[in-house]
Amino acid sequence: MFHRLWLLLCLIPVVLLPQGSAPAVQVIGAVQHPLQLTADDLATMPRATVKTTSNGMETIYEGVWMYEVLKRAGVPQGTALRGKALASYVLAEAQDGYEVVFSLAELDPSFIDNEVLLADTANGKPLFGEQGRFRLVAGRDKPGARSVRMLAKLEVVQLRK
Amino acid sequence: MPKQSAPGLMSTVCRAACVAVAVALALSAAEWEWTLPPGFPRPPVPADNPMSKAKVELGRHLFYDRRMSINGKQSCASCHRQELAFTDGRARAEGATGQTHPRSSMSLVNVAYAPALTWANPVLDSLEEQALVPMLGDNPVELGLNGREQAFLDVVKRDPVYQRLFPAAFPDENRFTLQNITRAVAAFERSIVSMRSPYDRYRWAGELRAISDAAKRGEILFFSSERAACFRCHGGWNFSAVRFEGSRPAVDGDGLFFNTGVSEYEPPNRGIYEHTGRTEDIGKFRAPTLRNIALTAPYMHDGSLRTLEEVIDHYAVGGKMDHANKSKILRKLQLTESDKEDLIEFLRSLTDEDLLRDPRWSDPWQDPKRR
Repeated sequence: MFHRLWLLLCLIPVVLLPQGSAPAVQVIGAVQHPLQLTADDLATMPRATVKTTSNGMETIYEGVWMYEVLKRAGVPQGTALRGKALASYVLAEAQDGYEVVFSLAELDPSFIDNEVLLADTANGKPLFGEQGRFRLVAGRDKPGARSVRMLAKLEVVQLRK
Repeated sequence: MPKQSAPGLMSTVCRAACVAVAVALALSAAEWEWTLPPGFPRPPVPADNPMSKAKVELGRHLFYDRRMSINGKQSCASCHRQELAFTDGRARAEGATGQTHPRSSMSLVNVAYAPALTWANPVLDSLEEQALVPMLGDNPVELGLNGREQAFLDVVKRDPVYQRLFPAAFPDENRFTLQNITRAVAAFERSIVSMRSPYDRYRWAGELRAISDAAKRGEILFFSSERAACFRCHGGWNFSAVRFEGSRPAVDGDGLFFNTGVSEYEPPNRGIYEHTGRTEDIGKFRAPTLRNIALTAPYMHDGSLRTLEEVIDHYAVGGKMDHANKSKILRKLQLTESDKEDLIEFLRSLTDEDLLRDPRWSDPWQDPKRR
């Protein structure tokens, strides 16, 4: 009897802890709805592609526009993106701690025709290795420095409240 | 066997000559095919020296021909050995007369994509022009042909192999020229293209088991901005800056040359300063491709780092020596011994074993005098 109880107690944490949980991007901070987006979640959202050329090699990235991600998180957009909200920004963080910033306005198609994609595939295959499972592709940036690889987190920061 | 009459003999000779010319023209016209994996760009080719199979084959023979040196002791291949990814295994190269070059031999793999040639010449981007440096240069003497160009051309003209190869490569009248020699050698060098390493198969061909777990960890360290950040100088599919068909030329060598704090940078090894004369350029050398890097020891422009372990240790401390021009990219890295092993395992995954034996780039000569 005691042996069975001990076995049950040992199994509890195994059952409660997430087992092999799918990689995800956190969307947190000044958002109405914090998100934990997996590739399955992104697959249900409006999909988009960006073609890049790096060192003569073309890659077609597919994923979800950042403004769609922010819309789902309840971040001010369009006519709601005025006044103090215009001082807010997205801090994109990679798994290794690398960070870059995008203002909310430069991710909003009502302000500017930008192309910032939260990508999960390249040339039709899931991202892997040094790219991470997710990455950003800032298609209109000249250098690739803000196209964060190994993306882990998108934190919306509100400077003026 | 009946004797052939003089007109009959003439007719046979004419037919044979016509066939030879036709074969030569067919070979010369044979379009060059780049055998590149899907997605890789074609390298740039100068308009006045288009690629052809015949020209590359001629270039291969010249590349391995030791008669192209002052004393018959060296060819291009002496400092660019196929089995060492076209380097020579020495800290500093040695010319035909025994004179030591101030810098080490660079690999010729994917040299067609290099925006600038040699370790530290920001304005040299033509393989045709570069070929003249080892042939004719006398400080240091490499092949030592300066003043002996005509003698070598005479040797070439008399050789039955070249009597076949030159007309095929250059069907025009004036075939046996120094310019055509450099064109053929450049075409051969341009043909040495490699994208077949285990890492290429892993990264571009979807073979997820082509490299070890350690190499996969090393890849992440290599490309991590916050960890090793090696990619900042050795980025892209060639692990070095590239030019390709249709690309713009590099502007002022920007992003190609770095001072890594590896030496005191005494003359004549002061990097691109030797060409620009700008003090801010002292110590800046080209960041070469890392493809096949496990085979190209010793490392750096002066061969001063003997092993990949020493190279990683050098960068882990942010460059051993202080220098006013040391690249701001370099900083002390937080790397464990395990991290270093992973990085080296990743670098080893960049070796293209097939390249080392590929007959397209091997020695075509059977005669030991020429090899």
